[in-house]
Amino acid sequence: MTALRQAGLIWLIAVALAGVTAAVHPKRPSFLAPPRDPNEVTLAQTQPWTGTVLWVDARPDSEFASEHIPDAVCLNFENWTKQFPKFLDHYNPGQKVVVYCSAKSCQLSREIAAKLRASGVEEAYFLEGGWEAWRQQNRP
Amino acid sequence: MRFSLLLSLFLAIPAFAQLKWDTTEQTLKAKPGDREVVATYRFTNTGATPITIDNVHTSCGCTTAALAKNDYAPGESGQIVARMDIGNRTGHQEKSIVVTTKQNPRSPMVLRLLADIPEPVVMKPTFVMWALGESPTPKIIDIKVTDGFPVRLLKVDSDNPDIKVEVRQVHPGVELEVKVTPKDTSRPEMATLLVRTDYPSDNPQTYYAYVKVK
Repeated sequence: MTALRQAGLIWLIAVALAGVTAAVHPKRPSFLAPPRDPNEVTLAQTQPWTGTVLWVDARPDSEFASEHIPDAVCLNFENWTKQFPKFLDHYNPGQKVVVYCSAKSCQLSREIAAKLRASGVEEAYFLEGGWEAWRQQNRP
Repeated sequence: MRFSLLLSLFLAIPAFAQLKWDTTEQTLKAKPGDREVVATYRFTNTGATPITIDNVHTSCGCTTAALAKNDYAPGESGQIVARMDIGNRTGHQEKSIVVTTKQNPRSPMVLRLLADIPEPVVMKPTFVMWALGESPTPKIIDIKVTDGFPVRLLKVDSDNPDIKVEVRQVHPGVELEVKVTPKDTSRPEMATLLVRTDYPSDNPQTYYAYVKVK
């Protein structure tokens, strides 16, 4: 019985400490998932667009040159003025455009998609997980 | 005795990082003329032992992060200065700076730099297109100087005589309506519209809009 009381007491102390940690720890996790960006799409969501979607690679030119999604167009902030006309060579009004960068942590695809929408490309999305997600799916 | 042992196990509070940061996220707004955005992240070694920052990595080639030195004694403060080159970037930008210490390499601190970069001149849209054979009905591009930027819109030229532009001064020098009309849509055409400005005075910038018949 004493052992049970002791265990209960320890449990209470542990819960109290966990509560304090959850309240003050600078790296405490958020219990509310941030709302998903409506312009973010997963690879699964892009599958029905196969053959019609225009892929845009927002990574630096050197990474694009090394490997990219087939038929993707390279478009990044560094060379926007030079590359945007080339993007327009491939783009048709109303076409869905999906921008990707290297991985989930990278923000470039989100930013390039936003700039495309501001330029007049109505359906510009960015790919969740980026190039890394594409490779993991082992698509051609 | 047994109770004390168990209690001490539960009381083993996770070893928080020794570096205490004044802030780990900064939101900055670029001003007209800015070529970079600079954020400073101050920290203090609040632990009882020296700490070594052995890696500072940024998420973008456009951002650098400078650290004056790597070793910090207990109680000592330091700072990381992150600079993001604006270049062609506009709108909302998010960059991260990952800081790793020798003492806690598996728990890097991620600092965030959020920046809002206004565009001196906004064109909506930046391109117009006609499909081959489509009626050559004029299309409009609105060009406007963003408030706060001392920019004058001087003129708009087409580099293709078969793509005609008519400019209406909505507010002279600061807001234009450009009517674009292709002479013919039976064959592919393209043109670049050059929007000339007087800003910045040392190197006046030209903005581009694009026209395609395809």
